Amino acid sequence: MSTSRLAALAQSLASLRRADFERLGKKWGLRGLAVVNVVCAVHLFAEHVGFIHVVSGPSMLPTMSAAGEVVFENRMVSPKSLKRGDLVTYISPLDPTRVVCKRLIGLPGDIICVDPTGRLAPSTEHVVIPKGHVWFIGDNAEMSRDSRQYGPVSMGLIRGKLMAKVWPPTAAGFFRNNFVDIGVEGSEV
Amino acid sequence: MNPLRKGVSSLRQSWKKVKTAYPRLAWTMSAMVWLPTGIAFNEYFYSLKFVSGRSMQPTLNPDDSAWRDVILFDHFSINWLQKFRRGDIVALKSPHEGKLIVKRIVALPGDTIKTLPPYPDAEVRVPEGHAWVEGDEPFRSEDSNYFGPVPLGLIQSKLSVIVWPPERMGALLPPGDPNRPKPLTGPARRRERDEIDRQKRREARVTESPQPRSFQS
Repeated sequence: MSTSRLAALAQSLASLRRADFERLGKKWGLRGLAVVNVVCAVHLFAEHVGFIHVVSGPSMLPTMSAAGEVVFENRMVSPKSLKRGDLVTYISPLDPTRVVCKRLIGLPGDIICVDPTGRLAPSTEHVVIPKGHVWFIGDNAEMSRDSRQYGPVSMGLIRGKLMAKVWPPTAAGFFRNNFVDIGVEGSEV
Repeated sequence: MNPLRKGVSSLRQSWKKVKTAYPRLAWTMSAMVWLPTGIAFNEYFYSLKFVSGRSMQPTLNPDDSAWRDVILFDHFSINWLQKFRRGDIVALKSPHEGKLIVKRIVALPGDTIKTLPPYPDAEVRVPEGHAWVEGDEPFRSEDSNYFGPVPLGLIQSKLSVIVWPPERMGALLPPGDPNRPKPLTGPARRRERDEIDRQKRREARVTESPQPRSFQS
């Protein structure tokens, strides 16, 4: 049976003419372009609206585990609308090819203690965050490279904000801002 | 017949009706379908933009030019190839305001640079993942002498070709590059000599790091 099928295929191939090949080429060429177009559309959506991403690395424990979790990133945030306590993704100031996620803890104009533990900087060292910059710290400070090493981060490097965890299903849910206003006069969070 | 197929075939039918009734609208709509490819090309490969302002004089927007320059911006070699070279003119987000500015890369990670006046220190070592950018006209430019080294992540694209005005049309090569055209007379020649002088003065302030740039985080 298979030999007869092969013979039929060979016969149909032999009967193809040049015009047929041209027609086939045009058809599949157009289909290829359409696939490229759809890929571009999905990529643009992911870059400008939002998409899901796999996160890895120990710096955000226990908010996110070191591997295998999937989160939804919102790309439609303006850096000016961010608040203290938000989980923000930004391009690493040390390596332009890496995107990192940390918690925003200081806004422009805030005075911040570089490292209260005194491990990376004397615990008395304070800096004023300059205009257009913010301060980021990983939730797992022991295993994180963040503003304590490289200082305030320009808002131009900010990509988006993490909104929710989608995988694993047992841990799925929205990320909540964990900052609490302790009611110091003249302050607002 | 399954419902999906039914839906598709009814869509085809109505599209045919639109095509015969409003041929111009149908043409516009079928052209719009290719918009994502066009936008992605503009964002990740090449785009044309106006450059305004005087900070890159005399290379861009010289005083004797009646138009604003139109430049071909190359996103591919910055975003994908991560090719940063001293002497390249790049577009970057200003670290304080976030608006797009055009400057020249003077020093790369590991280099040591002698700074110009507004900067507090006389000499700086450019940190890992950062670059030192300056305008060609230091007195009209807010550059690294004002805001310090900038993260490479802020650099968006490289300016590669002047498209307009026609008399300066051509590739944007660093001054002194052997492939640059050598004008023999007039203001173009004076400008060329001036640009080479500036480039030499810039280069004299940089001590290049012996190791090639490395990426670690």
